[in-house]
Amino acid sequence: MNLILSDFPLPELGQGPDTAVVDLSALNIHHCIGCFGCWVKTPGKCVIRDDAGKVYPLIAQSDRVIYVSRVKYGSYDSIMKTMLERAIPIQKAFIQLYRGETHHMQRAVKDKEAVIIAYGAQSPEEQAVFRKLIERNAYNMRFSSYQVLFTTKQQAAGLVKKEAAKWEKS
Amino acid sequence: MGKIVIVNGSPRAPKSNSKQYAAIFKEFYQAGASEADAIREYAVIQDEYAAIAQAVKDCSDLLFVYPLYADGIPVVLLDFLKYLEKHVPANKPQVSAIVNCGFFEPEQTKVSLSMLRLFCRQAGLPFSSCLSIGSGEAFLTTPLAFMVKRKIKQLAKALQKGRKREMQVTLPLPKKSFVKASTGFWLTYAEKFGVTKEQMDSMKIEGE
Repeated sequence: MNLILSDFPLPELGQGPDTAVVDLSALNIHHCIGCFGCWVKTPGKCVIRDDAGKVYPLIAQSDRVIYVSRVKYGSYDSIMKTMLERAIPIQKAFIQLYRGETHHMQRAVKDKEAVIIAYGAQSPEEQAVFRKLIERNAYNMRFSSYQVLFTTKQQAAGLVKKEAAKWEKS
Repeated sequence: MGKIVIVNGSPRAPKSNSKQYAAIFKEFYQAGASEADAIREYAVIQDEYAAIAQAVKDCSDLLFVYPLYADGIPVVLLDFLKYLEKHVPANKPQVSAIVNCGFFEPEQTKVSLSMLRLFCRQAGLPFSSCLSIGSGEAFLTTPLAFMVKRKIKQLAKALQKGRKREMQVTLPLPKKSFVKASTGFWLTYAEKFGVTKEQMDSMKIEGE
């Protein structure tokens, strides 16, 4: 399946039945409290019962994802970052060597092609830090390939439509 | 050398490793301090942002202690940084960091430190020193805890003397041994809740 996660509402994209679109700004998602419950108490399930529990299974099941986020200090801004931190139930506590580094093992998580549409970066330096972040995410979030596209918030929706249209053609 | 504010950026501040690392730093910093020096400690999830920002107005050094979360700065700290940028203190304290990473490689913290440097640039604050800790989840529970304490002591001294340092430390183990040791660590952790290795190893997400 395909997944579009955005930190603001996107206009109707005319997507196919295999594509889920999630507006994170409309959901109730608390920040991770670092309790490790999803690893050691209720493996695979977060102990906080809010909307994050509807989203991280979609992340795990997706072969292709588009993440749309504002950039702040070279990081995803708060809305997307909160969700990605809450996605750790899809990983196990156990660590393995992956591409020569230590990383958490994954549960039933598909390798995914990722397109990250980023807006609000203030400088080439901030873009470079964000690119490095996505490079790190590729290890921990199982991106088999990824593209980072910088744009403005106004143009982000058009870019999402263009990238999602490529899915329909392939 | 002067007043320092320590800000714990962990989402689980009262029970965090960041709190333990901050306590070790505090001990070494105090040991070399004069009466004029003061250490104040805050946590972004426990204290009012305004109270922390007020304390920052009166310090020469600002030390963030935080864990690596999803390859970057925890969102609870990110939110505080955004607040602080809007309330930049005129005294321009220099910013330093202790970053705790559960993985073996302290290098995995580099991107988060680049983020902190960007914050400093955007807020007009000078960046000073940093210590990246690999194996940070378990380091203090091992007989080799002295290694990380030694590095924290060096950081405290550097800040006292106004020197800039960039340091890192991890357990002196082959990676495969680290993986084995970490498995034991997590099994013991889960055992307290009556959860078995098989349950921890489940491929199911949300029970599906």
